[in-house]
Amino acid sequence: MKKITTLSVFLFASFAIAGEADDFAFFESKVRPILIDHCYSCHAKDAKKIRGELLLDSKEGWMKGGESGQIIIPGNPEKSLFVKVLSYNDTIQMPPKGKLADKDIAILTEWVKRGAPDPRKGSAPAIAAKKIDYESAKKYWAWQPLKKVAPPKLKDQSWCKTPIDHFLKFNMEAKGITPNPIADKTKLIRRAHLDLLGIPPTPEEVETFLKDKSDDAYSRMVDRLLQNPHYGERWGRHWLDVARFAESHGYEQDYDRPNAYHYRDFVIKALNQDLPYDTFIKWQLAGDEYEPSNPLAMMATGFLAAGTHATQITASQAEKERYDELDDIVRTVGTTMLGLTIACARCHDHKFDPISATDYYRMASTFSTTVRSDYDLNLSTGNYAQEKAEFDAGKKKLEEARANWERDNLSAKLEAWVKAGAKDAPQSDFLFAEVKSAVAKNGTSLGILSNGIITATGKNPDFENYTITLHSNTNHVTALRLEALRDASLVKGGPGRAPNGNFALSDFKVTVNPFDSKKNLTTPQPVKLKSVRSSFDQKGLPASATIDKDKKSSWAIDPQFGKDHQVVYELEKALDLPHGAEWVITLDFNGNNQHNIGKLRVTFSSMDKPALAVTPVPEKTLAALEKLKAGQKLAASEITDLGMWYRTKDTDWQKLNKAVDDFIAKEPKPKMVKALISSEGVPAVRLHTQGADFYDPVHILKRGDLNQKVSVASIGFPQVLMKSSDAEKHWITKAPEGSKTSYRRKSLAEWITDTEQGAGMLLARVIVNRVWHYHFGRGIVATPSDFGVQGEKPSNPELLDWLASEFIHKGWKLKELHKLIMTSAAYMQSSSVDEPRLLKDRENNLVWHFQSRRLEAEIIRDSMLAVSGTLDATPFGPGTLDPNHKRRSIYFFVKRSKLIPMMMLFDAPDSLQDLALRPTTTIAPQALLMMNSSIVRGYADALAARVAKDAGESLEARIQRAYQLVLSRNAKSLELKEGIEFLKEQEGFYKADKKPESLALADFCQALFSLNEFVFLD
Amino acid sequence: MAFNDIPHFNANPCFARRRDFLRRTGQGIGMLALANLLQENEVKAAPDLALNPLAPRQGNFPSKAKSVIWLFMNGGQSQVDTWDYKPALEKHDGQELKGFDKFTGFFSGEVGPLMKSPFKFEQKGKSGCWVPEIFPNMVDHVDDMAFIHSCFTETNNHSPALFQINTGFSRMGFPCVGSWVTYGLGSVSQNLPAFVVMYDTLGRGLPKGHASNWGAGFLPGIFQGTALNPQGQPIDNLSRLPHMNEKEQRNQLDLVTRLNRIHQEEAPHEAALAARIESFELAYRMQMSAPEAFDVDMEPERIRRMYGLDNKKCSHFARQALVARRLVERGSRFVQIYSGGMENERSWDGHRDIQGNHRQFAGETDQPIGALLTDLKQRGLLDSTLVICCGEFGRLPIVQKTKDKNFLGRDHNPHAFTTWMAGGGVKGGTHYGETDEVGFKAAVNRVGVNDLHATILHLLGIDHTKLTYRFNGRDFRLTDVAGNVVKEIIA
Repeated sequence: MKKITTLSVFLFASFAIAGEADDFAFFESKVRPILIDHCYSCHAKDAKKIRGELLLDSKEGWMKGGESGQIIIPGNPEKSLFVKVLSYNDTIQMPPKGKLADKDIAILTEWVKRGAPDPRKGSAPAIAAKKIDYESAKKYWAWQPLKKVAPPKLKDQSWCKTPIDHFLKFNMEAKGITPNPIADKTKLIRRAHLDLLGIPPTPEEVETFLKDKSDDAYSRMVDRLLQNPHYGERWGRHWLDVARFAESHGYEQDYDRPNAYHYRDFVIKALNQDLPYDTFIKWQLAGDEYEPSNPLAMMATGFLAAGTHATQITASQAEKERYDELDDIVRTVGTTMLGLTIACARCHDHKFDPISATDYYRMASTFSTTVRSDYDLNLSTGNYAQEKAEFDAGKKKLEEARANWERDNLSAKLEAWVKAGAKDAPQSDFLFAEVKSAVAKNGTSLGILSNGIITATGKNPDFENYTITLHSNTNHVTALRLEALRDASLVKGGPGRAPNGNFALSDFKVTVNPFDSKKNLTTPQPVKLKSVRSSFDQKGLPASATIDKDKKSSWAIDPQFGKDHQVVYELEKALDLPHGAEWVITLDFNGNNQHNIGKLRVTFSSMDKPALAVTPVPEKTLAALEKLKAGQKLAASEITDLGMWYRTKDTDWQKLNKAVDDFIAKEPKPKMVKALISSEGVPAVRLHTQGADFYDPVHILKRGDLNQKVSVASIGFPQVLMKSSDAEKHWITKAPEGSKTSYRRKSLAEWITDTEQGAGMLLARVIVNRVWHYHFGRGIVATPSDFGVQGEKPSNPELLDWLASEFIHKGWKLKELHKLIMTSAAYMQSSSVDEPRLLKDRENNLVWHFQSRRLEAEIIRDSMLAVSGTLDATPFGPGTLDPNHKRRSIYFFVKRSKLIPMMMLFDAPDSLQDLALRPTTTIAPQALLMMNSSIVRGYADALAARVAKDAGESLEARIQRAYQLVLSRNAKSLELKEGIEFLKEQEGFYKADKKPESLALADFCQALFSLNEFVFLD
Repeated sequence: MAFNDIPHFNANPCFARRRDFLRRTGQGIGMLALANLLQENEVKAAPDLALNPLAPRQGNFPSKAKSVIWLFMNGGQSQVDTWDYKPALEKHDGQELKGFDKFTGFFSGEVGPLMKSPFKFEQKGKSGCWVPEIFPNMVDHVDDMAFIHSCFTETNNHSPALFQINTGFSRMGFPCVGSWVTYGLGSVSQNLPAFVVMYDTLGRGLPKGHASNWGAGFLPGIFQGTALNPQGQPIDNLSRLPHMNEKEQRNQLDLVTRLNRIHQEEAPHEAALAARIESFELAYRMQMSAPEAFDVDMEPERIRRMYGLDNKKCSHFARQALVARRLVERGSRFVQIYSGGMENERSWDGHRDIQGNHRQFAGETDQPIGALLTDLKQRGLLDSTLVICCGEFGRLPIVQKTKDKNFLGRDHNPHAFTTWMAGGGVKGGTHYGETDEVGFKAAVNRVGVNDLHATILHLLGIDHTKLTYRFNGRDFRLTDVAGNVVKEIIA
């Protein structure tokens, strides 16, 4: 046996050798030339650039494989990527320049089939997939812990007002440069107002400030401004820039997000309340996990929802779109909060910073199940709970009074009434029967109320079928009626459950199964319906569609929402049912997605032409009366039924009942509002999405390619910002039992704010630098969203670390930071420059002068509104696209496809990606706007009227008043002269007009708006 | 000509280095890359980018093309019914397309067999180009056109595909080709918008994704396309306020200048202040010259007729084509015109009836495009104007099958479409690349969107690997990390 084995091995081996020679010849003559001609330019050791980490110039090369792993499985062309890519049917198509000739493909396929024989001996050096050395990477300044620094000692500290100045002056001394003196007070008050509030001071505020000669006049002014609610509107806009905030989805249809403004309001409120910055961040990442009952914390999660979202997603694109959406979130969290360009690691490890693609996907996985949702928030304050408790107690008392009366009087009164001949017995065109069951096919929860009403709650599937079974005693039936009833809990009051309150009932079918005398069912039979009458038909969607043959044609009621609707179906042949019957009614909703009825009732009529909208009475009440009249004894339950009806005739009961009703009408209502939030386990905003809302788990993708899933990404944080590679365990919290959310975002938020072991120190550095950037026009790090290797180096690292430490130490309070910065000599100094100093430090790295700069779009407009006296200071609430509105510009509705032209002209962001540095451009269309826009002219007209009213007839007084309002100062004599001359000339030009004088004054006011001084922060 | 319009501040030694100035004024650190690019090429005019970001400048190497007119066949023109004639489709008409992935198009449930083109084709021109009967005017220009038959894109849905062909990314938020080009080259005219977009004026809507198709993304906003208002004044704020005449406005502007100069004396080193003063003078001139550029009534009757302004079927597109010529003639850098509005029957998106749809839209565009090429050529402008024509994707060679047998449409096809270019240094009469036998997928010499963009930039004298903008830590390019110039279509 053993021998044979050896022999056979030998035989096969010799065969193999013989075959090998052939195969090698095949390789040399056929295969190698193709590889040389078509592959080596990218896949050989001496290629200019080796692509895909793959070498095909040696056997070792293809055996090692490339970026996509093993490419040749010898003997198995079907499974070899190398062969698949040649067919041009794979996502990777090789060679990229064009498909190979069929015969060449056949040769290469044959080669793989033969086992890929390859005589080439060359070696394939490892193509260095660079490994990140985290330990040395951590030495980079930005990933270092904050340095404990003390303000340096100076030769001359006379200029300094705060430690900030010590840090700056120290470097200036080293460079031999002297800073500017403090600016004059008129400049300071204007600067502070524009910077903190975004509108200039009033002439009265200027006057008060100038008169105040106390040492702390300036500091108290800053305090006052920090308490002004316009502060949140000014600085909130800065945050919205980096939060890429907008109120529409973008892409195809750019649908509105009508509830997104709550996030904008959250930002404004948080700033005005001086919410600690770490909490500000925590809430934006996971407010729903930190404080689910705090509406402000919930609204904060709008941050995650603010990015664009494709509105028309085909099934084959859905997963890719979802990865893009996660990318938007990861990217924005990275740059906005940490100045970290994490998104650069989506396709490969970050080219410059120590962030791996694994870091990227692990961070993305934090958000894998997070979706945007229009969510009901309860805005009721603490008083509500108390008011509600008081109300409940009051209501209970009144209800008890009514119940007591019923207990004590009802049966006696009823008895007396019967004895007196039972006059005015109840009647109605419609009776309702007992509902035995109500079942929905596709998951809606149907509930049955005592008055025969059926309610639909819970899941609202795209299409639905309700089956309702009724037991009726009515023994002559001519018609059925379906009521679709309004309800406050439905959108717009219903009666439908569609997103607009509509429904689309496509079919209404009836089967009857008469009872015999023993109350046994006999035979079910379909009931033919003859005609329909309805309260209202939506155009093209009549009630008759519910009994036609078309399964999709439907009855709907848009725009008559919030009303009760009825449709009466007359039977083709009236039915006589001496012992009653079981009725099975089916309602089909096939017409439109989620257009199911939210509240309904089916009733019966014995009349020939029953009215449409009448209140039905219960069958059982009538039955009890019949028995009573026939002298039969009533059961206790029947007496109760009858009593329930009878009491409504009694004036005493009516009074008691009215007291209950009146009281209920005053019930304190919780203040509910819909807000766009981000959370988990909540219904996602879907639009026209054919795929899933999210894909869990998130995978690590090779080259960002969905077809190359490497492995499942578990939650984690960038390694360079953790003490050790598996340190994430320190922050990862398990979700509590029964939690709808995964607590992954909370874990991220804990890490990001952890100043000891997590990213908290970087978080502080980045925000401190942003605040500095907005105050000075240039950050200590000039690239506020990129603290990485590619970003600018800090111009004063000690100062940055000192500010960040102070900030953390003082409880992450932004208002304190503003105060600290604004009371420094660096901030208060004048803006003047001269050539010698410019030559030493042109970029003002040393902050030896205040950097004058053009104001932002919003501030230019808001200032025109403010000085013309037309600003409407109403805060919060939905925004508008109306360019003529008078509120602050932060209340423009940000629709991505309809950005406000005036804002865009002055470089407002397009809200597609986070924007840390707004460009400042100077272009002719801006001037055209100031010259020719009717809106700007409107502001000028209003200002002119205000000036004329304040200053009277004197041209000089008018010019002075205009200067005070617009530029916060008096006109100089030359300016006065120019102004007076102009007003006279212009008035002369307009002689023929009705009001030459006011036209001329408005022309002057408009000219002031066009001045550099008006639009520059100085 | 336009150089007189550019403010010069070279005399001031403080701003001798543009690079410093860009930093100092917060003009955008991103633009530093451009400053580098320019220094590298020693541009003689040395325009000061910070003061006038639209100042004209040279690319990396000399080029014929100075401006671009992009005719965008919105909704997706069917290649097999227009410029990619496939005789094999006639042979296989009615047969199943084997191995077809039903998710290729938009409607996975409406997959029918191969369908031949309803149009007759003839070979025309010296180059023997196959032309469908629906292009009776363009047929005269086939020897000036270079065709790339092997274009492909990556998504099967209008707006991502529109974003991709316009910006190189299927996601929203990146600068479009027109923005990159004006960023790279500025604009010859300072009195007209550098980058103009015209979309449907018949109320059929904007292309899907709206203004993001001509947005500047992270580039400064001045580089975004100016979309002309479809009705009324083409550009906002171009006309003087109703109560003013020229003299009164001039006087007001003079006051602004005088008061600004008084203020400027306090800060003589702030060049930004001077630039802003100058911008008012520019605006004043623009107010005069821009309306003239849009006024096609100033053209002779002969020209108006040639474009088809008297032809009801195509007068809307004819007007836009003529405005495009007037704009490039006057120094605008980049003009894009969209044929058709939103999707379906309002654009080239012939899902239901490819014959009726394409006949209609060919009828709307053929005469104006033919006239535009004739007109540019006779004025000697064709050499310096690159004309591009394509849609966001192609259409499937199979029929989109629905219950209604009268509907013979074609669904979206990302795998193949044809782009043609003319003028601007393009080698006329060239046919580059091929699709497979039935025109389903680009097969030979495939050209992706990045390649297309690289080629367009190349024709304008720009090396696509060098035109970069620093944003949030990365040097972005129009062509991202890819792009090969299709040298074969360049003369």
